[in-house]
Amino acid sequence: MIFDFLTTLKDSQEFDQSLDISPYAKMMGFRLRRQDEQLTTVMKFHSDLIGSPFPPALHGGTVAALMEMAALTQLFWDKNFGIIPKAIDITVDYLRAGQPEDAFARARVFRRGRRFATLHAKAWQSDPKKPIASAMLHFQLQD
Amino acid sequence: MLLIPHARRLGLQFLTKQEGTLIIEMPYNPELEIIPDSGIMANGAITALLDTALGAAVYEQFEVYRRIVTLDLRVDYFEKPSPFSSVIIKARCLKMKDHIVFVQGDVYCKDSELQIAHGIAVFSYADVEKIS
Repeated sequence: MIFDFLTTLKDSQEFDQSLDISPYAKMMGFRLRRQDEQLTTVMKFHSDLIGSPFPPALHGGTVAALMEMAALTQLFWDKNFGIIPKAIDITVDYLRAGQPEDAFARARVFRRGRRFATLHAKAWQSDPKKPIASAMLHFQLQD
Repeated sequence: MLLIPHARRLGLQFLTKQEGTLIIEMPYNPELEIIPDSGIMANGAITALLDTALGAAVYEQFEVYRRIVTLDLRVDYFEKPSPFSSVIIKARCLKMKDHIVFVQGDVYCKDSELQIAHGIAVFSYADVEKIS
């Protein structure tokens, strides 16, 4: 499935791939990019992502979901576990209002043990130096 | 709820209000599955449900419209949702003081007592703007 699909990408140095094989990722407009050895999850803007119409701003839940996707793909990219890591929790700091435009997220594995992983994620838009949100996530790596 | 495009896209439906607790449903929808045909809705959708309902619990405290901002949101995932199950959230305000609002929500599978997630969030809000 989606993770077998990620495995097929591992040989490519650069790609910009839609994640449409997952219904939720398709609905959200998620893409996966690799450039300069870094993995970035992209949320292509569309009007269904709006949370507040006046003035238009991204729904906070979409930004959290984007960072969650970035964390999950990064975790799988580093090591294929054979099972889907189970999300335990996510803590999101909202730093700026999300503009009605594409958003990006990247996650860093802060620590990965045998049973758990802690990741830190960041989301931004036109200016990578001005993050719109950051998050800390925990995953369980075995049942 | 209908005014929020993403909430509409998720199919959120306001069910009822009981003693200050808002109850909102996210009906099962195959488009919300991470893995096709699994019947299991994505954590991201659950997170967005929480964010929406907790924001609604904040708006509930005001008599007039105010702009609100989310400062932080924490979600604990207790269980995967049961396959093909709709979920409901019960959201309420814990405390409002000095322009800060603390809210919390519990997410359940609609047809069972199974609690699948819990969330807390902190919001702030703007003063009512004077229209000149």
